[in-house]
Amino acid sequence: MQKEVVFTNLIREHQGLLYKVTSIYTDNKEDQEDLFQEVIFQLWKYFDSFRNDAKITTWMYRVAMNTSITFIKKKKRRPDSVPVAEVFINESDTHDEVYEERLRLLYQHLKHLNTLEKGLIFLLLEGKSYNEIAQITGLSASNVGTKISRVKKKLKTNMTNK
Amino acid sequence: MELEELQSAWTKMSNELDQQKKLTNKIILDMTKQKYQNKFTTITKYESLGALVCFAIALFVIFNFNKLDTWYLQACGAFTLLFLIVLPVSVLSTLKKIKNIDILKGSYKENLKVYVHTKNRLLRLQQIGIVVGFIGLFFIIPVTSKIISNKNVFLNSLKTEQIITLTITLVAMAFFCNWAYKGYKKITQSAQELLQDLE
Repeated sequence: MQKEVVFTNLIREHQGLLYKVTSIYTDNKEDQEDLFQEVIFQLWKYFDSFRNDAKITTWMYRVAMNTSITFIKKKKRRPDSVPVAEVFINESDTHDEVYEERLRLLYQHLKHLNTLEKGLIFLLLEGKSYNEIAQITGLSASNVGTKISRVKKKLKTNMTNK
Repeated sequence: MELEELQSAWTKMSNELDQQKKLTNKIILDMTKQKYQNKFTTITKYESLGALVCFAIALFVIFNFNKLDTWYLQACGAFTLLFLIVLPVSVLSTLKKIKNIDILKGSYKENLKVYVHTKNRLLRLQQIGIVVGFIGLFFIIPVTSKIISNKNVFLNSLKTEQIITLTITLVAMAFFCNWAYKGYKKITQSAQELLQDLE
């Protein structure tokens, strides 16, 4: 029982993080909901093996991103998936056209990156340092730096060409 | 549009998300407790069904192997069996490997590598399957014809409608192989780039 309480509190606290991870690896709401559910399932499955030597969010990023790698789009929705649509996030309360357009463009550009680039730029957008990104991805910090500057250049070129 | 503007949009979205705590405890627990179907279950289900059909046909050929009374029919039978057993087993074992990727153990980089490698292998197997299926027609037809109707197609001349059907099938298969190969090439090329990026 105690475990359930701790887990649900953790998910509620960091649901935004999970929403963001699942949003960059999927192309539509339906796939995102399925991936979101899969991530929560995996987090629960491995919850006992979480050790306090890492930050809980680092662990969550890792499980969520690793789960997303193997996510396969389905043509048909499973009948037994939890209907999270009605609680799922999330249009802004305030209507800000500039912000929405930027967000739309951001996702549009992210879709053109490969899985590794997507993961790196996502963590960068999340404000993670190169060391933290290295810890989550398993790349060396210097490699992270090199690759991120390459992805930034690629994004910039894409944005200029649009 | 600058990168900084995208970053600020992301930060704004993050802040909004942090304020929206829409998931309830019940929904979270439902997600963890229900018998959640792994996404691979659906895929392996179809592959397993396909494999079962192949194995059933293989068994049928094995039990009737004595009806193949010439060395060339026996050779065709052996190739048919090889095709019906080896390919499905390889596909299923590759799918199992993807399914067993340890999400917690490996890093993002390591898991991505394993995933891309295994996915490539799966695509290659599917490609081989198409080509072998194409060639396999030449082995399967004589075998089934001999077992079911006791006719040796190598000795009987084909009727006109049989020749037409066979030609249409071969042309369709050739187009299908070409189309599948192009798709495969495109996917593996991008996978190769990703793997190089991971080195």
